[in-house]
Amino acid sequence: MNNVVAQLQRQFHDYLVSLYQQGFLDNQFSELRKLQDDGTPDFVAEVVSLFFEDCSKLINTMSRSLERPENVDFKQVDSGVHQLKGSSSSVGARRVKNVCISFKECCDVQNREGCIRCLQQVDYEYKMLKTKLQDLFNLEQQILQAGGTIPQVDIN
Amino acid sequence: MTVEQDFEALDQFPVGMRVLAVDDDQTCLRILQTLLHRCQYHVTTTDKAQTALELLRENKNKFDLVISDVDMPDMDGFKLLELVGLEMDLPVIMLSAHSDPKYVMKGVKHGACDYLLKPVRIEELKNIWQHVVRKSKFKKMKSTVTNGDHSLGNSDHKANRKRKDDDQSEEEEQERGNEKKPRVIWTRELHNKFLAAVDHVGVKNAVPKKILDLMNVDNLTRENVASHLQKFRSALKKINNEANNQQANMAAAMDSHYFMQMSSLKGFGSFHHRPIPLGSSQFHGGAATMRHYPSNRTFPGMFPPHVSSSRIHNDGGYIMLQGLPLPPLDNLHINNNNNNNALPSFTSQQRSLMVAPNNHFVPEGHQQSSSSSPHLEINKRLEDWSNNIPQSNVHSKPDALKWNIDTSTTEPTSFCRDTDFGSSYATTQADFLDPFQMKQHQENNLDPMTVAQLLRSSSGNEGLLFMGQHKLENDFMDSDAASLDDIVNSMMTQQEQSQAEFSEGDLGFGWQNNSLRTCI
Repeated sequence: MNNVVAQLQRQFHDYLVSLYQQGFLDNQFSELRKLQDDGTPDFVAEVVSLFFEDCSKLINTMSRSLERPENVDFKQVDSGVHQLKGSSSSVGARRVKNVCISFKECCDVQNREGCIRCLQQVDYEYKMLKTKLQDLFNLEQQILQAGGTIPQVDIN
Repeated sequence: MTVEQDFEALDQFPVGMRVLAVDDDQTCLRILQTLLHRCQYHVTTTDKAQTALELLRENKNKFDLVISDVDMPDMDGFKLLELVGLEMDLPVIMLSAHSDPKYVMKGVKHGACDYLLKPVRIEELKNIWQHVVRKSKFKKMKSTVTNGDHSLGNSDHKANRKRKDDDQSEEEEQERGNEKKPRVIWTRELHNKFLAAVDHVGVKNAVPKKILDLMNVDNLTRENVASHLQKFRSALKKINNEANNQQANMAAAMDSHYFMQMSSLKGFGSFHHRPIPLGSSQFHGGAATMRHYPSNRTFPGMFPPHVSSSRIHNDGGYIMLQGLPLPPLDNLHINNNNNNNALPSFTSQQRSLMVAPNNHFVPEGHQQSSSSSPHLEINKRLEDWSNNIPQSNVHSKPDALKWNIDTSTTEPTSFCRDTDFGSSYATTQADFLDPFQMKQHQENNLDPMTVAQLLRSSSGNEGLLFMGQHKLENDFMDSDAASLDDIVNSMMTQQEQSQAEFSEGDLGFGWQNNSLRTCI
């Protein structure tokens, strides 16, 4: 039993570290993990799912704004990007945030093509992260079910 | 809140400090809520600025501090900031993902106590209680002379009373006798008597004893009169000094003319009297006063919480200058229009207080409906694209970031960004972006990479660069945050001396340098 837990914990640890190393997550995510405690065991899961919800909504909105070439509401797009940047940086979704930075630049110069590309990339990145985090949470659940505790992971 | 609860909270302060958090982004709001809980504050959240205002209005004593996001669909955060400062005089902290100094400046000018960047760190939140203390300290240090007959004045005093055993509230006015140090509230009537007395003896001959005798008011000591007189005199002096100000020349001439008139007893009775707002909050004379101060100054913080519509209407258009009566508005209209750029904004702000506060609506930015057939084309492209991971953006990013780093740290002033996302910002970027875009065009012709390849390539250097940029951003802002505190501290000392002149409701940063006030 202990072996199983230890193994899972190691797996969890390695996986999480790889997510940091690959740039999916940054320090802010680890700050969020620190905020989670016995009183709020699902805090991180809750926050990231709110985040993904936001992503989906914002991407839809922006996509609509960018749809027709002759009538792009860049202000709306900019507002969406801005919000996305804020929320992604708050959860530690590093890649998503970085795309937002480029996205904003395209928006500022009213480059529709660039914006669409960035939009696509944001969509990709958030979905990718969603998958990754889902795997991570699954690991967490497995550890807990096996009677273990979630390891603290320090990022260097 | 009962008195006992007040004291309890007091004892443990800042634990239990009551914060109202406003952010339309649910993710950020949730995080903020948890962070604040961690700091052991009592947190109320809302995602609508309008709701926040309602909550604040329904009970002014319910909160100690407000934290608000800048970009919200139903109301501009700066607008909320102003309104809260004006109506409730609570400390407001702005929150934003905008690191642009322009926004920070805007926040400061609108009276924010602080400006935090997202993502917010818990360390920053652990210190926000200082703003509550600072604010209440200011109020406490305010001159004993305040105007008591404003309905909105209650909020100021009550908010004060919660945090310290303050005795400036209106209700406790009657209990003056029980306090160790009786405070004299210079009501309009009292001040009128004062003015009449001064007038009678003549300004030059005005000595506290004589004035006191003439006023014939119980419970008024010579000391009360003396300090009041001192403030009165320095206010006069200031007016005369300001007469040298270019923009105020004409107006000052008129004012000093009228002042002379007043002191020479002519038409004295017809003037509309007002107490000297020594630290008081009523300040309709803000408009006229602004004429007499360095032209660039506008005072968002000067439009105090005690401004009420009834006051405006009662004025009948009289302008008060530091509590000195001035002739009817029509005589000075010309001057106003010429000299006082801030007057329109003053008026509109008053208006916004009197009428619905919903004057400023940002068009709804976020729609909730899911995509339907018209969007098929884009969605289809999205799907197609998700299978392809162009390398272009990955490689181009470092350049973009580099640019960000350079400009953000070296040329903050070149941002000249206003809320309309001014074109100047765009043009400075345009030069850089062309190579960026050209690159993209080229690289889109490459074969799509696989996920694995992408993952392998996007590590190491890029990560460093990204982190660096992020860090730089934060560092840059941190130093600004420090300087904000410096500004406040320096203001504190200045404020102590100039309480007589400024009738500040909330101090914030509003009064300092505000030539851009009109960009609300």
